[in-house]
Amino acid sequence: MVWEAIARRLPHIVLPPPSIVLVRLAQDLLSGKLVVALLGSLEALVLGLALTIVIGVPLGFALGRNRTLAEMFDPVLNALYAIPPVAFVPFLVIWFGLHLPARIALVFLMSVFEVTVAVSVGAREVNPRLIDVGRSFGARGFELTRKVVFPAALPFVFAGVRIGLVRAINGTITAELFFAAINLGAIMNEDATRFDTAGLLTVIVLLALLGLAAQAAFARLEARIVPWHLRPAA
Amino acid sequence: MKRSLLPLGGIALVLLLWEVAGRRLGDALLAPPSAVIVQFVPQLFDGSVLPVLADSLRQMLIGFGLAYAFGVPAGVLMARSRTFDALAHPWLSMGIVTSIAALVPLFILMFGTGFSFRVSIVFFAAVWFVALTVYQGARGIDPRWLEVGRAFEAGPLQSFWKIMLPALCPYLIIAARIGVLHAIRAMVVAETFVVVGYGALIHNSGLSVSTAPLLGLLLVLMALGALATWILRRASSWIAPWYQERASA
Repeated sequence: MVWEAIARRLPHIVLPPPSIVLVRLAQDLLSGKLVVALLGSLEALVLGLALTIVIGVPLGFALGRNRTLAEMFDPVLNALYAIPPVAFVPFLVIWFGLHLPARIALVFLMSVFEVTVAVSVGAREVNPRLIDVGRSFGARGFELTRKVVFPAALPFVFAGVRIGLVRAINGTITAELFFAAINLGAIMNEDATRFDTAGLLTVIVLLALLGLAAQAAFARLEARIVPWHLRPAA
Repeated sequence: MKRSLLPLGGIALVLLLWEVAGRRLGDALLAPPSAVIVQFVPQLFDGSVLPVLADSLRQMLIGFGLAYAFGVPAGVLMARSRTFDALAHPWLSMGIVTSIAALVPLFILMFGTGFSFRVSIVFFAAVWFVALTVYQGARGIDPRWLEVGRAFEAGPLQSFWKIMLPALCPYLIIAARIGVLHAIRAMVVAETFVVVGYGALIHNSGLSVSTAPLLGLLLVLMALGALATWILRRASSWIAPWYQERASA
């Protein structure tokens, strides 16, 4: 409401009112322009996130269950985490060029730390009594990890991946703007050169909705897979 | 003794791996730490880096200060008033998931590429996280404390100053820590995009033949993040020593 009221007084180039943005969003979705771009963007998102899960989750478990490893690499992880991912962009250009591999790499970099840290906290916090029970039933090593530690830490894995997912969406659009402009990033660039603020806001709103929808969908999935753990509302 | 050596060992191992990998790949792909020291340290002190960094930081701090000044009351209000929460929470959720990079082109149109652009990008990056942290902290205040206050006839203002604010202390610190990290990230995003300030240094060093200056600039950012975290940890143990444990969690 405040936005609508303020925006009606300003010229539309500066800040278009939400009514215009919503109409535009519906138009562009129906015409397929945004849908095509969105599907294109999802490619880097899905591949990057998959890479994050494949690397971040086992790494998190290793750090969470092994104190020596944790003490050795916690400072390194924290230090890397403190670097803004976008600062890696020139580096990624040198290594991966400007196209899909670079985008995947940025998505990966932006999401992997969150997932690793969350999973390692989860694996560390597993109730020792559960592990004792497993031991007394003769579970050892890998079996213990698979049957006791993994299910017990699963809620943390989900929490980590949920945050990672939002960060990955973030990384996707960042990559499309900072490397060769493509998909949604290209639409934003075009809109920007045409002073089309409504178009820009349309993409931003779409991305925000995508993030919220992904989070909600993920919460559902979590409720189905780990019904024993009721996560307190964030 | 042995435990305190392990982190150092981890860092040393990573540095070693980096050195070996760097020597194999060469300066153009990955400069080894030794090359970074040789090439970057003189550059750091010849006056081409530090003044630029100071200028960028000044703008970042203004944006962060505004975000903090706005986010803290907003978080408290949301936690204490159901109406305000219902009004503002959808925006908060949206703001948290919105990518800063996506806002950059929009903000360039709205504010140009100067001072107000950089400050507002930093503001928008940090304010949601400050508000959310304070919100969670203020929701967690034990209602019994407020009842004790009421029993002693504390007015709304008094109960804010004397009960809620001390209870919020650890969260105020955490909010500042999370906020500063996001503010630094946003600063780099904004500056790299429009190629000004420290972001311009990063952008331009990406074009040079050796990756050593680029890695040096990254290490400076890393040190900056660590420094900010350290200062705020110290601040929390000074302002609210009774919450030491919770703030460090």
